[in-house]
Amino acid sequence: MSNKLSFYIDRPGPLHGLNPLTKLAVAFAFIIIAFSAHWYWAPLAIFIAGIIPIAVAGRLGREFFSTGVRLFLPLFAFLFIMQSLFYPGGETVLFRLWFLTVKLEGVRFAFLTAMRILVMVSSFMLVLLSTHPSALMSDLTQRGFPAMLSYIVTSTLQIIPQMRNKAGTIIDAQRSRGLNTEGSLGQRVKALLPLVGPLVFGSLVDVEERAVALEARAFNAPRKKTSLREIPDTNWEKVLRWFCLILMVASIGSNIWLS
Amino acid sequence: MNLIRSIKKDFNTMTLVLIPVAIAINVVIGEIVVVLKLPVYLDSIGTVLVGALCGPWAGALTGTLSNTIWGLLIDPNALPWFPVALLIGFVAGWCARFGLFTNWWKVIISGILISLTSATASTPISVWLYGGITASGSSFITAFLLQTGHGLISSVLSTNFLVEPVDKVTTALLAFAIIQGLSVRYVARFPRSENVMVEKKGTHNTQIIVAIAIAAVLIVIAATVLVSLLAS
Repeated sequence: MSNKLSFYIDRPGPLHGLNPLTKLAVAFAFIIIAFSAHWYWAPLAIFIAGIIPIAVAGRLGREFFSTGVRLFLPLFAFLFIMQSLFYPGGETVLFRLWFLTVKLEGVRFAFLTAMRILVMVSSFMLVLLSTHPSALMSDLTQRGFPAMLSYIVTSTLQIIPQMRNKAGTIIDAQRSRGLNTEGSLGQRVKALLPLVGPLVFGSLVDVEERAVALEARAFNAPRKKTSLREIPDTNWEKVLRWFCLILMVASIGSNIWLS
Repeated sequence: MNLIRSIKKDFNTMTLVLIPVAIAINVVIGEIVVVLKLPVYLDSIGTVLVGALCGPWAGALTGTLSNTIWGLLIDPNALPWFPVALLIGFVAGWCARFGLFTNWWKVIISGILISLTSATASTPISVWLYGGITASGSSFITAFLLQTGHGLISSVLSTNFLVEPVDKVTTALLAFAIIQGLSVRYVARFPRSENVMVEKKGTHNTQIIVAIAIAAVLIVIAATVLVSLLAS
């Protein structure tokens, strides 16, 4: 019916057994170091020596690579073209193409930015590929995160596929009744309201019923609630998380101290 | 104490249930717009809706979670932009508190205020994380401005000031249209329903005249800001 909503891949591996918070801590450590290090090659080093080995060890290499290509290729192509041609203050010209000049400083800046984005997005990707969203939410709730937020995230994950299906149905239904979804800009703008209207009002009608259902199940009761799902957490992971925190602080500190 | 009470007032059970629906509205309408190939994003309608019906704090939360969930599910590139969405929800909530969601020309003003905030807030993120170039059509404008010798920050800021108003004013108007389409009994269950009661006074003509006057003033202000940005 609905396509897979989250990035999560259900395959037992070393990454899947880790506590979600540990994975987030490591991801943030990678990102902060990549963005605050003064060494030009730091992001690339983190990617090659840290992220790729973890992806392979977690048996996520194939999906990691395919989603990575899908996400990064357009962005990087755009980035490189734009920055090489239009970077302000670039002077060393590498070559000319018609009336466009490619400047070295632009290429260098594009490469650095691309590497940083690569580290940022790919480390989050690793977390997402190996963590089911509701596992993350359960863990956070057990640590004292407000149950309200956990409910909102989990509920959204269920509603979005439903709403996408509804939207598809509405688009098909309106098209079969003669709604023009291609054509001039004016026609497409006029097509927006007949598509958006039924979708939004249909979804909002549910809201009141859900609210009543929640209240009938004592959702707002102030007691601590026991959970059906227990998320494991080990001691060495706690040590690792503190280590990541120290690394992050040290990295930001050295950035400020060195500049 | 007053602040905490004001925050708590925003969140009753209806708010809690509306937020996931609003986030889903953000996602799905954002995708419909891509199907229709319109030159806008329209991915904040739910956020503005929650801001108007439930208050600024609920709107801010909706914006944050919307970007977070979009980043978790669809495209991690959306994650760093959550402060922008946060501010969109927050400003929408405050506009509604100040009575700017009661008829359509006031909603246009809200839309412009929201677009000013989002343009200003998205500039630092774009510059620091992405070097000013994001994977959207507006980057061409930025590139053109860069080429003609303007600094990075003023190029990105000018691009955003040009692109955001259309999107956000449309968003605000659509959110207003949605609220108008709901029954008063339904709207009354939300914490800040008094913000969206339509006023009855004023004829249609006066409204149009006031709308044109305000739009003219705002266009003049925007033009002056743009010119001074480009000249610096």
